[in-house]
Amino acid sequence: MNARLLTCDVLVVGAGPAGLAAAAAARESGADVICIDLFARAGGQYTMQPAASDSPFHAAPQVRQGREAIAHCQALGVRMLLETEIFWAEPGFVIFAHQKGEAITVRAKTVVAATGGMERPIPFEGWTLPGVISAGAAQRLVKANGTRPGQNIVLAGTGPFLFAVADTFAKAEISLRAYVERQKPGIGTIDLFISHPSRLGEALGLLRSLRATGAHRYTGHGIIAALGKERVEAVRIAPLGQNGLPDKSRAFTIDNVDCLCVGHGFQPVIDFTSLLKAAHRHDDALGGWYCVTDARTQATDVAGLFAAGETAGIGGFRPARLSGRLAGLHAAQAAGRPLPHFGIDKLHRDMIQARAFAARLARLFPFPAHIADALPDHELVCRCEDVSRAQIKAAIADGASDVFSVKMWTRAGMGPCQGRVCGSGLAHLVASALGKPAAEAGYNRPHMPLRPVPLAAAEAALALADLPHGVET
Amino acid sequence: MSESLPKAADVVVVGGGVVGAAVARQTAKDGLKTVLLEAKAFGGAVSGASLACLGTHMHNIEELPILLEACALWQSLSEELGDSFEYNRSGQLRFILKPEDVAIAERWIAGERAAGLAPELLSPKEAQEVEPLLTGPIHAATWAPDSATVNPFLAVRALLADGKRAGVMAFAETPVERLLLDGDRITGVRTSRGDISAGHIVLAAGPWSARVARSIGLTVPIVARQAQCLASVRLPPSIRRVIGACESAGGVESGYTQIQQAASGQILFNTVMAPQQTPAGAEDRINEVPRRFVRDSIAMLTTLFPSLANILMLRSWVRFEGVTPDDRFMAGRLQDGLLIAAGDNGTGFTRALFLAQLISRAARAATDARDGFYNPLRFAGGKP
Ligand SMILES: Cc1cc2nc3c(=O)[nH]c(=O)nc-3n(C[C@H](O)[C@H](O)[C@H](O)COP(=O)(O)OP(=O)(O)OC[C@H]3O[C@@H](n4cnc5c(N)ncnc54)[C@H](O)[C@@H]3O)c2cc1C
Ligand SMILES: Cc1cc2nc3c(=O)[nH]c(=O)nc-3n(C[C@H](O)[C@H](O)[C@H](O)COP(=O)(O)OP(=O)(O)OC[C@H]3O[C@@H](n4cnc5c(N)ncnc54)[C@H](O)[C@@H]3O)c2cc1C
Repeated sequence: MNARLLTCDVLVVGAGPAGLAAAAAARESGADVICIDLFARAGGQYTMQPAASDSPFHAAPQVRQGREAIAHCQALGVRMLLETEIFWAEPGFVIFAHQKGEAITVRAKTVVAATGGMERPIPFEGWTLPGVISAGAAQRLVKANGTRPGQNIVLAGTGPFLFAVADTFAKAEISLRAYVERQKPGIGTIDLFISHPSRLGEALGLLRSLRATGAHRYTGHGIIAALGKERVEAVRIAPLGQNGLPDKSRAFTIDNVDCLCVGHGFQPVIDFTSLLKAAHRHDDALGGWYCVTDARTQATDVAGLFAAGETAGIGGFRPARLSGRLAGLHAAQAAGRPLPHFGIDKLHRDMIQARAFAARLARLFPFPAHIADALPDHELVCRCEDVSRAQIKAAIADGASDVFSVKMWTRAGMGPCQGRVCGSGLAHLVASALGKPAAEAGYNRPHMPLRPVPLAAAEAALALADLPHGVET
Repeated sequence: MSESLPKAADVVVVGGGVVGAAVARQTAKDGLKTVLLEAKAFGGAVSGASLACLGTHMHNIEELPILLEACALWQSLSEELGDSFEYNRSGQLRFILKPEDVAIAERWIAGERAAGLAPELLSPKEAQEVEPLLTGPIHAATWAPDSATVNPFLAVRALLADGKRAGVMAFAETPVERLLLDGDRITGVRTSRGDISAGHIVLAAGPWSARVARSIGLTVPIVARQAQCLASVRLPPSIRRVIGACESAGGVESGYTQIQQAASGQILFNTVMAPQQTPAGAEDRINEVPRRFVRDSIAMLTTLFPSLANILMLRSWVRFEGVTPDDRFMAGRLQDGLLIAAGDNGTGFTRALFLAQLISRAARAATDARDGFYNPLRFAGGKP
């Protein structure tokens, strides 16, 4: 097994908008910077880079912004390690990873965690049928791979991200059968744009895109079930009743569907910061569990560890880029490089403002965790380990008191994804069955390895950490 | 969880691991009003981290009659509870890497055979017949066909559920803060949710037992020892038996390996080559496996089973066992009103059901000649 030991001042984990901004800022301060990402191309979610050189998305502003950020990092001499999976980290810092069969160990003075967000799935009847995919996966298929997820597509859930996905479909000239959004536009939306008029143009553009997809728009509606035998064939929806759940007496079916794209919002990716034992808190408006940071320096409560972007609470692209820059500058400072004399105050102010907009937008589209309450008993909650809602109820009846004990007794969350997919739904189901807030139901704590790792790669990477300091191989 | 705690009981069991759950079930079955209190989640401490092999092989020759009964109790529990916890009589193979360890193995085998058991010494080729993928460079192996494994999570769950059917009132997330005293007699416990008075308090709080005892100034010589394990992703059936290292002189501290494949298909493996320090208070923190441990465990697994060299590791965990000065449980009466079943020394699953009966006897003032083996007062005066 090939193995490399690398040393740097600042290690940035994640090459999305936050990570790229952090890497560039730290490098501009004179720090030696390594930036690691799981994906084959830098850019993260919002500024995702298409695989094909003839993709129609190259002209899109987000893709251009990403391309420029990546080029800027390259010009500055940031060392990029792509398709690199981190499987462990020790404070101080030693990061263990592997890349296409090669073990990589990095010693860094300081670390910026910019691991981004991931979808926050909620289970509903039929959610595991083939053809039901997450809205984010649909976007990635279209944008990065140029693949069409279906012929008769329904886009459903809640939140501004559905608009962004519709925009992606419009740009790829893919039509949509229906767009199903829980919220109805109302006074809150108008208020938001009165306070943040600069964001109105973008919103109107997204609305135009949605029209261009030809989707029938159902606002104030929610999904009851994805229906089908072998795969999704139809989607049953209804207007929401008083309790926020679809009113079954007014339900109707959208037939001849072969793809249902569902999105209910995002949650921070906190596996890396949890592994390093940083403090986390729960706030539904920030996507659930997030890494606690100082708003000015982006420092976590672990010395030398900074967090930026969605890791520090869901907020979207602007806060990600701004907090990334703040984190990069302060991580470089903590690694012994001077902090610039000017600009920090403005960055900080802009970041607070961008977060404020994101927070207000998030309040317009609250995370509807309670729709899991309508899940039929036979339906799966954990799809890696095939655990149904009935099994979860039985564990709670036997005395399981939190997500952890339900996991022990049912294996929910013990599969290859380690609870990434079922975690949010499971936490809600456990909390509501026990009558406590979701935050008290706990979450699936990550341990070594963060992701499944080949034994040989783990052994080779760990062996490098025993070499004396000052060596690079 | 909204039910309120009872004010009084015959027995309060402190700690809801396999030992506490088994004790509570037994005392309730024997007619005592029993409350089981667990600080966090039932079976979430070392019991939920266990490889839960039940066996007689290479434990303690003197203890064999008890171990035989302890293992038989698990088998009948599995039959009684309708195979609800994956009881699997897999047998156990202990590999020998160094020629000088053969003599040690032969001594164990002779002792166990004298007690009516049937362990054998196998050549590498014979060992491979028992465990086909064990193609690594071993010198010999012992084979104990009577060992079994259970699913540690489901075993605690089944004990708890059966205990509740017998009347156990069980409360998770209810730590005992201190013992309550009237003169020299222990009369109850104070919990985060109120006091309970009881005729007997049973300390079954694993490595935390010493701390609970200290709340009334009582010294219990149990310390925490770190133990840990690694798990692969689910794999097709590859390892049939419990694979262990032949116990050489010095016991766990001088090198220890346990490898087995769970019913889920995950391969569980751990190797400790050198003694590890367990820092004070570590049992109260969330810990990560030591780097050295991971390397040793991977090296041992892939040396013994070269065909598993490319598998994926999925998870690791760290927990704490309770260790006594003489490597033997403390079970029985400590003081008026206070019983103990702790000091598992890393093999508490095996003994849990026997100890449950022992504690229930003690609570009912019944006796059994074998109970003295675990007499918790053996350390009084500083000497075992
Ligand atoms: C599917 C999806 C689609 C989205 N679409 C939009 C949109 O259209 N508009 C919008 O405003 N916002 C969108 N968002 C929100 C988006 O998260 C932010 O706008 C922005 O991308 C946040 O930047 P970031 O740098 O914090 O995270 P990201 O862009 O998510 O970047 C994080 C990067 O870290 C990498 N990473 C994570 N963990 C590790 C690890 N352990 N080791 C190595 N690398 C790691 C990831 O591969 C990723 O490249 C979307 C989010 C998701 C999940
Ligand atoms: C990797 C590994 C492999 C193992 N393999 C085997 C094996 O093959 N065979 C075998 O027999 N054994 C094995 N063991 C050991 C076995 O798991 C333990 O001996 C056994 O589980 C001990 O059970 P216990 O109930 O005493 O302890 P625990 O499970 O630790 O239970 C004690 C409980 O007390 C609770 N508690 C603590 N303080 C308080 C308080 N103040 N109030 C209320 N509750 C409290 C704790 O939360 C805990 O749940 C293994 C262990 C490990 C880690």
